Amino acid sequence: MSLTDYTRLAVKYCEKAGADEAEAFAQNQQTIEVVLERAEIQSERVKTQRGIGIRIIKDKKLGFAFSSTLSKSSIEEACRNAQNLANVSIPNPDWVSLPTLAKLPKPPNGIYDEQTAGMGGDKVLELAMRSYDEAKAYDKRVDIDDGKFSAFLTKVAISNSHGVEAEEKSTLLQGYLICMAKEHGEASSMAFEYDVTRRVKDFSSERIGRVAAEKALASLKPKVVETFIGKVILDSDSAATILTYPIMNGVNADNVQRGRSLWAGKIGEKVASQKLTVVDDGLLPNGIGSSSFDSEGVPHQKTPVITRGKLEGYLHNAYTANKDKKKSTGNAYRDGYYMLPIIYTSNLIVEAGKKKLENIISEVDKGIIVRRFSGNVRPESGEFSGIAKQASYIEKGEIKYPLKETMISGNAFQALKNIVEIGSETRPTLLKAYVPPIIVDKINIVSK
Amino acid sequence: MIINLLKQCLKKSHGYSELRYHKRDTFTVSVKDGKIDILNRGTVEGACARTLMDGSWGFSSTTLLEKDKIEEILENAASLAEASRPKKKRAIKLASVKPYVDKYETPMKIDPRKTSREELVRLVIDVDKNVRGFSQNIVSDTVTFNILDDELTFLSSEGAEISQRIVRCFGNVMVIARERGNIASAYESMGAQSGLEVLKGTPLSNVGKTAAERANKLVSAEVAPAGLFPVILENRIVGLLAHEAVGHCAEADLVYGGSFLADKIGKEVATKKVTLVDDGLCPDGFGTMKYDDEGVPTQKTVIIEKGICRSFLHSRETARHFGVSPTGNARAWNFEFDPIIRMRNTYIEAGNYSLEELAEDIKEGFFLKGGLGGQADFNGEFMFGTQEAIRIKNGKFAESLRGVTISGNAFEVLKNVDAIGKDFVMRLGMCGKEQINYVGMGGASLRTKLLMGGAK
Repeated sequence: MSLTDYTRLAVKYCEKAGADEAEAFAQNQQTIEVVLERAEIQSERVKTQRGIGIRIIKDKKLGFAFSSTLSKSSIEEACRNAQNLANVSIPNPDWVSLPTLAKLPKPPNGIYDEQTAGMGGDKVLELAMRSYDEAKAYDKRVDIDDGKFSAFLTKVAISNSHGVEAEEKSTLLQGYLICMAKEHGEASSMAFEYDVTRRVKDFSSERIGRVAAEKALASLKPKVVETFIGKVILDSDSAATILTYPIMNGVNADNVQRGRSLWAGKIGEKVASQKLTVVDDGLLPNGIGSSSFDSEGVPHQKTPVITRGKLEGYLHNAYTANKDKKKSTGNAYRDGYYMLPIIYTSNLIVEAGKKKLENIISEVDKGIIVRRFSGNVRPESGEFSGIAKQASYIEKGEIKYPLKETMISGNAFQALKNIVEIGSETRPTLLKAYVPPIIVDKINIVSK
Repeated sequence: MIINLLKQCLKKSHGYSELRYHKRDTFTVSVKDGKIDILNRGTVEGACARTLMDGSWGFSSTTLLEKDKIEEILENAASLAEASRPKKKRAIKLASVKPYVDKYETPMKIDPRKTSREELVRLVIDVDKNVRGFSQNIVSDTVTFNILDDELTFLSSEGAEISQRIVRCFGNVMVIARERGNIASAYESMGAQSGLEVLKGTPLSNVGKTAAERANKLVSAEVAPAGLFPVILENRIVGLLAHEAVGHCAEADLVYGGSFLADKIGKEVATKKVTLVDDGLCPDGFGTMKYDDEGVPTQKTVIIEKGICRSFLHSRETARHFGVSPTGNARAWNFEFDPIIRMRNTYIEAGNYSLEELAEDIKEGFFLKGGLGGQADFNGEFMFGTQEAIRIKNGKFAESLRGVTISGNAFEVLKNVDAIGKDFVMRLGMCGKEQINYVGMGGASLRTKLLMGGAK
C-alpha cells in the first residue's frame, strides 16, 4: 500500500465512525547517519521513521492520535483513540474547517535528488571522511571533537475529508563538524560548521572541514576587550538565531491573534531598517524548506513578510486564516507524523545586500564579529544575551584578535531598526532561514 | 511476547550483540487561552540491534517488529561493523559487566494507565483559567501536561535480560503579559519520574501561579545590568550550573577529547563546600533508571567530593579505556539511537544557609531565578539563561529586573562558591547532545560570581 492509501483509509474510517472532519498525515523517512565522536567514526545508523497522525473534529472538538505502525488495525486503533479524545475535549468556537481542496503547484525544482536518495552508508561515510580529512590536513593544531552527517529520504502524504490529497517525496543532506585547536596546553572554544542541501552536488564536505578548522584556529590566543556599545557583525548563523527567530515569532499569525507578538496591528508600519527585506518562499528551487504543499495540504506560495523595513503581513495556517477570514499562506508545519501542525516558516529569506563580508569588515571603525552565538533569545520581547563565540575584535577596518569571555546583549526588535548593512553571502541556516551576514549597531559588548 | 521473539533472534547473532526494544506511549494535553490546542495520544514502537565485531560497532533499527526484520537488523549491524572496521583507528573494547536478569518499574502510587484522561483535561483547563485570571496584564498563556510511559527491554548475547518501565509525568506553563508597549514572558515547569501523584506534591496550579506572577512583575521591569556580579542562584536553577558547568566536562567522551576536567582527578577544582553528584538512582529523578541502555546498573557517581574531582561518567567502552568500572551513564533517546554518555540526575549537595544568610554579605548583586537554555564549551566556559534578577543591595532583596544569560568559566565559578543553602530541590531537564534526553537537575540556592550579559 502507498502512503496515500493509508491516509485515505484513515479518513474514511473516521468519517464512518462519525467524525465531522478528519485528516491523516503519513510519513516515511529513511535516514542514514554517520556519527563522529572523539575524532573517530562512532556509529553508522540506518533508521526508518514511519507513522501516521490522525486529526479529527467532532462538534468543534479536537482529537489527535498517532502510531508508528502502518497497518489497517493500528490505523483503526489510532482513529478510535483520536475519537475518544475528541469526546473528552471541549468545543472551540473559533474552529471553522480543515483546508478545502485547492490546485497544487508543481513540485519545486531540486527538492528530490536521485543521487541523495540512492546513498548508502558508504557514501555518507565518504562525505563525513572528506570533511574530517580536510579539517585534519588544514593544520596540526586542529582536533575534531564530533560531527554528524545524515542523508534523508522523506515521503509524506496527506488526505482530509474535504478531498485534499497530496503526496510528495524529497531528499536532504546535512552535516556538521565541531573542532577545536590546541596550542601550548590551551584549547580554543568549540568551532562549529555545517552544510545543509537537497542535492549531493550542492553539498561541500570539504568546506565544512576547512571552515571548522579555520574558525577553531582563529580563536586561539584570545584576549578580553573592555565593555562598550558598538557595531556587531553577525554571521549568517548568529544573525538567524538573534534576528530571524524573533521575526518568525513576530509574524506567526497565531502569536499575533493571541497578543504574543509586538507586531500585532502593525501591518504597513516600519518595523525595521529600510535595508531589510524578508520573504517566505515555500517554492524556492532547491530550498531546504520547499515543497508544493504545507503540512495541511495547502499549496505553498511566496509571501512577502517585510519589504524595505515595512511589515507586509503574517504567516497563517488554516486555523488562523479562518479566524481572520483570510487565505492560509501555506505555513502549517509538522516535524513528523506525531505532531499537530503549528505555524512555521517554509524558507524564510533575508534578501542579500551588495557588499561582501570582507568589505563590510573593512568599514568598521570599532566593533566585533560573532561567528557563533551561545545564548538565549526571548522571541516575544526580543531580548537576547549570550556568549560571543568565535568572535573577534575589529578596529579601523581590521580584525585584531579573537575574544574570550565576551557576551553580547540587546533587543532584536531594536536591532532590526539599527541594521547598518546586509552582506551579499546568503546561506541556509539550521533554522531553515536563508540569511546573509548582518551588521547591527548599538549592541552591548560585555566583558568582566 | 516481544521478549521471546528477541531472544530467539539474538541466538543467531555475531560478535557481541545487543537488542533493545522500546515502546513509548505519549499523552499530551495543551490548553492555549482557554481552548484546547493539543490533545494527543500516540505510540512509537521499535527495536534496534548493536553489534561489536573485531573492535567496531554497527547499529541498525526498525519499527517493524517481525522475526525476519529483527534478524535483518542484527545482520545489518554486523555488516556495518565489519564494513567500517578498516576506517576506524581505535579498536573498541568493553569493560566487563555481569549480565543482569531483572525487572524494574518506576515506583508509582497513581499509575496513569489506570486513570481517566478526562480528569487531566479538566485540570489543565482549570489551571489555564486561573493563570489568565491572575491579572489583567496577562494576555495569553499555554498550559501543558504530558505523560510518557516507556517500556524498555535490553538483551545481550552475554545473557543480560532487563525489562524496565519508566513513567514520567510533567507539565509546564508559559505566560505572556503586556502593559502599554511592553511585553514579557515567563515559563515554569514541574514533573518527575513517578505516577500522577506528582501533581499532589507539586500542583500544576502552583506552577501556573509562579509563571503568572513573574510575567506580571517583569512586564514593567528593566533588563538587568551587565557585568561581573556576586549572585545567588535560586535552588531551581543550581542544577543548570551542575549540569552545564561541570557535568558535561565530566562525560568521559569529552574528557577523552581533553575537557577542562581531563587532568583533574584527585585535584581541587572547587571550594570544600562543593560536592557534585550524578545519580542514576534518585527517587523521582527525571533521569533515573535502574539500568542504563548497555545493561549496566546505574549508581550514585560522585564527580566532585568536597572540592576534589573524583570520577568521570562512563559507558562500558570508556570505562575500559580509562581502566575503571562503568558508571551506568550510557543512554539512548529511543530505539533509533545507540547509547552515548549522558548525565542522569546531576546535583550539588545542600549546605546549611538560609536565603537571607546567603544575601547578607552581598553589597551589590543579584538573586537569579527561572532557568532558560544552557550550553557548555569544552574549555569550561558555560552559559545559561535566567528569567528574573532580583537586585540585592547591602544584603537586602530589592526590585525585580528582567533576567539575562549568565556565563562563566566553570573553574572560576566553582572556586567562588562560598555558601550553599539548605533548600534542596530536584527538577526535570532536557539535554541535547547529538540526541536529546531527559535528565534531572538539582541543588540548593548558592552564592558565587558570574558574568551577566545585561544592558550597559
